Amino acid sequence: MELLSGISATSGALNAQRTRLDVIAQNIANARTTRGPDGGAYQRRVVSFENELLRSVGADGRMTSGLSTVRVAGITTDSTPGQRISDPGHPDADAQGMLTLPNVNLAFEMVDLITASRAYEANLSVAKNSRQMAMKTLEIGR
Amino acid sequence: MIQPVANSLNYQLARKLLDASVLRQEAIATNIANAETPGFRRLDVSSDFASTLRARFAGGTQPRVSEIQSLTPKLAEDSTVRAVRADGNSVEIESELLAMNRNHVDHEFLTELVSRHIKQLKMAITGRVV
Repeated sequence: MELLSGISATSGALNAQRTRLDVIAQNIANARTTRGPDGGAYQRRVVSFENELLRSVGADGRMTSGLSTVRVAGITTDSTPGQRISDPGHPDADAQGMLTLPNVNLAFEMVDLITASRAYEANLSVAKNSRQMAMKTLEIGR
Repeated sequence: MIQPVANSLNYQLARKLLDASVLRQEAIATNIANAETPGFRRLDVSSDFASTLRARFAGGTQPRVSEIQSLTPKLAEDSTVRAVRADGNSVEIESELLAMNRNHVDHEFLTELVSRHIKQLKMAITGRVV
């Protein structure tokens, strides 16, 4: 039992959502990066979450339900090919004058950005609420 | 001497309900953390707790303090809500935030109730308003 009830679930989710925001920021920043360390255009990164059981509930002790949090399972590269445009003047264009752009879609990234920041805010308000409840509990009898 | 206060029905009830509200806060924290986990079913304080409590008060009779003390709130999957999303997740973030705010008010009321009991006892001991 924690003093701030549920804080481990909330902090896990906050961490995971922040990582997601970082990755989205990276994708948007590299929306026009045509040369990466591997020589090719930037490929967008995708964060995947996994569920981590904190404490099992239910008398039968089955592990399917319980207090659980989320954490980042990994950051993978989206390998869909990027758009190819004709731009012979570009230094990264190939012999035919074709240039491969990163597979970043700004609209997708913006929607993802809003979802992630709303999820972050919701978890933050839970953390604030838990704190207020703990403060109130500490004031019992005063 | 202080047994009558600590063993009064309201004090013991407030204690149990405080336990329940802390558990509910934990459940809501989990629900919001897992708002995007596919197949996640929302958690809440088991409905057994409320129904047992209601049964104890059925017919206008007051339960004994020992009956209240034996109650323990537990967490369970909420089977009353249906998953409306394609991924089988039954969490709705708006209703979770509302439930959290309601739970906060409940918790504040209960801590106040417990405090008042203790303050009354202090006043009886010292003879001064504390």
